[in-house]
Amino acid sequence: MASTVMASSSSSATSQFLSNGRRTCPPSPLPLIPKVVVAAAKSDFRRTATTTKTSLPRRLLDSLPQKAAAIAAVAAAVSPLPALAEQMEKAALFDFNLTLPAIAVEFLLLMVALDKLYFTPLGKFMDGRDSAIRAKLGDVKDTSEEVKQLEEQAAAVMRAARAEISAALNEMKKETSAELEQKLAEGRKRVEAELAEALQNLEKQKEDTIKALDSQIAALGDEIVKKVLPIA
Amino acid sequence: MNVIPCSIKTLKGLYDISGVEVGQHFYWQIGGLQIHAQVLITSWVVIAILLGSVIIAVRNPQTIPTDGQNFFEYVLEFIRDLSKTQIGEEYGPWVPFIGTMFLFIFVSNWSGALLPWKIIQLPHGELAAPTNDINTTVALALPTSAAYFYAGLTKKGLGYFGKYIQPTPILLPINILEDFTKPLSLSFRLFGNILADELVVVVLVSLVPSVVPIPVMLLGLFTSGIQALIFATLAAAYIGESMEGHH
Repeated sequence: MASTVMASSSSSATSQFLSNGRRTCPPSPLPLIPKVVVAAAKSDFRRTATTTKTSLPRRLLDSLPQKAAAIAAVAAAVSPLPALAEQMEKAALFDFNLTLPAIAVEFLLLMVALDKLYFTPLGKFMDGRDSAIRAKLGDVKDTSEEVKQLEEQAAAVMRAARAEISAALNEMKKETSAELEQKLAEGRKRVEAELAEALQNLEKQKEDTIKALDSQIAALGDEIVKKVLPIA
Repeated sequence: MNVIPCSIKTLKGLYDISGVEVGQHFYWQIGGLQIHAQVLITSWVVIAILLGSVIIAVRNPQTIPTDGQNFFEYVLEFIRDLSKTQIGEEYGPWVPFIGTMFLFIFVSNWSGALLPWKIIQLPHGELAAPTNDINTTVALALPTSAAYFYAGLTKKGLGYFGKYIQPTPILLPINILEDFTKPLSLSFRLFGNILADELVVVVLVSLVPSVVPIPVMLLGLFTSGIQALIFATLAAAYIGESMEGHH
């Protein structure tokens, strides 16, 4: 690329740079930089060409030394390139070699090592912990059932106790009422007996009084008769 | 004539930038074969970081996890979850593969962004993320291919190859092609992303040395993580795909 443009500006100076360029830039593994130079030179060339339509050959001839100077400057700028070019010559993005199998083996070994050290043991440990937690949760559920059972038992005991108490209470009530009735009946009987005795006594006294009155009545009658009938 | 100085400046810039050593390797010779030493060294560091942190954090697991153990339990749950969503109920045996894939790529990518590799000068080339090298990414993609073939063959026997003529035999060439495009896309995606990320950061740093590259660096960290996740997810998806029944 560079050589063609440079050749087109046919001057002795450029041809010298051309050969120089050929020597310094070996079969360009670095085409980028020459391309940029060429593009810059070309654009400059075109601009001068378009702005001066009237006397194009004349202007071209005038600008030739300038071109030469410019290219010289470029060449000077490029001159540190040889060392770089030598380096870049070996630039190899896609060279496959022993690195590939080496890395593959390393990867497989790393996989085995990580499996032994990390994935399997820690995975097992985590699974174990998971199952332990699950088991504990299950246990907690079981104890809650037990608690329910105990509660039921307690309720049954309470019920039984309550029934017992009420039964005892009833019995006691019955007993006391029976005793009371008995005492009442006794009292009544005694009162009745006493009443009957008193009535009997009264009757007896009445009879006695009547008897006494009878005898007295006879005496009194006699007296009354004596008093009323003094002749007799 | 003001174009020329400008272009010279551009050239100077390009020259400075080309201090980024793309495709430069520090070679070791082993039995007449060449090997990229910088990739090997950084991969050893990555493996050392992984194994060391795992050993420290998980050597004595507690029922109530401590900080490190908690982190690694979280990572393991994440990997299990990823494998389970992609592979299905029979994900168990594939957890080490998917997990190692994810962790290795993730730590590799982040080591490229976070570890100051540049402090260590190599005679040639420079230290960077191991995933910055196509050899590494292919070395990770090929076992993935092998893994999904193995998964399909153990699950379904030779009937596994029936999937090549599903849903119609016309698709046979495309189905065969898929087996080549899968590792290709896996490896090139990772390689391209990480290389581009590191290049962008280095170029920006060379242009504007402070503050400006920081957002790009953060973006780089983000993409690095995403790439690790993508690689692991796709590997799991391929395995799951070859294990599931085709109807």
